[in-house]
Amino acid sequence: MKSTVLQKFLTETGDIARFSGRFFVEAFKPRYEFAELLRQCFFIGYKSLPLVAITAFIMGLVITIQSRPTLVEFGAEAWLPKMVSVSLVREIAPVITALICAGKIGSGIGAELGSMKVTEQIDAMDVSGTNPYKFLVVTRVMATTFMIPILAVLADAISLYGGYLGTNIRGVCSWDLYWNQVFDTLTYGDIIPSIAKTFLFGFAIGIIGCYKGFYSNKGTEGVGQSANSAVVISSLLVFILDLLAVQITDLLNLT
Amino acid sequence: MAAQDSRNLRLGIFVIVGTTLLITALYIIGSKQNLFGSTFKISAQFNDVNGLMKGNNVRFAGINVGTVESVNIITDTSVNVIMIIENNAQQYIKKNALASVGTDGLMGNKLVNINSVNAESPIIEENDVLQSLKPIEMDQMVRTLDVTNENIKVISTNLRNITDKINSKNSLWNLLMDTIVAENIKTAVVNIKLMSNQGLYITGDLKGITDGIKKGKGTIGALVTDTIISSSIKQTVVKLQRISDSAAIITGDISHIVRKLNQGKGSAGILLNDTNLIYNLNKGVKSIDKGAITLNEDLEALKHTWPLKKYFKKQSKKKK
Repeated sequence: MKSTVLQKFLTETGDIARFSGRFFVEAFKPRYEFAELLRQCFFIGYKSLPLVAITAFIMGLVITIQSRPTLVEFGAEAWLPKMVSVSLVREIAPVITALICAGKIGSGIGAELGSMKVTEQIDAMDVSGTNPYKFLVVTRVMATTFMIPILAVLADAISLYGGYLGTNIRGVCSWDLYWNQVFDTLTYGDIIPSIAKTFLFGFAIGIIGCYKGFYSNKGTEGVGQSANSAVVISSLLVFILDLLAVQITDLLNLT
Repeated sequence: MAAQDSRNLRLGIFVIVGTTLLITALYIIGSKQNLFGSTFKISAQFNDVNGLMKGNNVRFAGINVGTVESVNIITDTSVNVIMIIENNAQQYIKKNALASVGTDGLMGNKLVNINSVNAESPIIEENDVLQSLKPIEMDQMVRTLDVTNENIKVISTNLRNITDKINSKNSLWNLLMDTIVAENIKTAVVNIKLMSNQGLYITGDLKGITDGIKKGKGTIGALVTDTIISSSIKQTVVKLQRISDSAAIITGDISHIVRKLNQGKGSAGILLNDTNLIYNLNKGVKSIDKGAITLNEDLEALKHTWPLKKYFKKQSKKKK
């Protein structure tokens, strides 16, 4: 029993790795599905913006309000923008964006592809001569890989704005001073690794959603299952990738 | 198709806004670290940089004008700090400016302060080396503060004593605060004023008198002005002078006589100086004395003799 669980886990990991490898092969082969890519980008990126924006704004506001008492204890209230901006840009905004997208997009892709699989549309595509992997998987994974960094940048900006409002709830910090302090604190070592890892998050969310949908079990139950496991695994992967990214940037002294 | 166009438009806006934000942020950070814009390099050597790092700010007159590019150890006692400075600050920094390592606030980041010196000097150029000041060490500062505190303690104790003395009775302060003294001083001042007024009158009178004297009015005036009197006074003075001259001669003689007397010359001198004579005289006087006593007794005896007795009885009766 134990060996079968381990076996299942290893088999699935191998399958996901192969699925990902196939993406790189298919993505660079000609006959690109631009129209479909743009359509997916619109749904994945643009349609997720309100959700991400609201979450990021609230996170910025809340982190600022929560950090204040500790800083006041040190008499370092003036450091609030600096501290908040570093924590938001380096960690909170990218990870929150990735988790929100894992929930919204991962489940969406998993359910969409799962239902296509169940209703045998994927098989029909294969028969009709369209490469279903290229048309369905490559476009979606490309869309998530490029849209999530953009969402993360917007989330950074919006959460910093939330931080500005949070700073001004109890203290006073002018608009110019706030942004001056924020950009005084931030360095390339803060921004570039944090944006770079969102590409990985996006890729992971897309590839897991597609994999779970593409190999969904037959039946309506299978669709729900694939949607569910897509969210769970992609969320988990976001954290694992985050851990790896931090370790690598730390080792390379990029901070 | 129209729906797809609208979607693509919105997607385009979304992507452009996102990338613009990212690029703007990167540009602002870059310009804060002087990666863009024209800059020049200068350096300074320190004994100790107190943890200064690449990327720390360089301030001139308290304004950020650049960043630290690198910190390298040269020898066991010197560290070379290369700084990137904005070109528009160049005209204000002189070659004799002093660089020092400071702290932003009490616990903030380290930074390099460039301070100008009040002396003529040409403008700084690329690759110049600034002179450096020894950085202020917290430890050193606290040690000095400790000494200062001790001193302040002593000073404040002394001050307390002084103020106590000032506040106590019979003090200068009391004197200052005493209203009676003040009143007295006031009246004294008034009196002085009156006096000076009277003085004024007196001087006025005096002036009148002197004027009168000048004009020959009154006795003094006459004295002063009358030439006949003055000539007779003159004569008198001449006579007086003669008298005093002869007096001087007389006193000279007297002193000569006295000297002779002292030497025992002349009869008076002998009389005065001969001790033997004095003894004899003494003796003579004594025998006279004796003689007088015996005479006295004889006379007493005579009183009681017959012819004289009657007379003395009569005398005593008269007295009664």
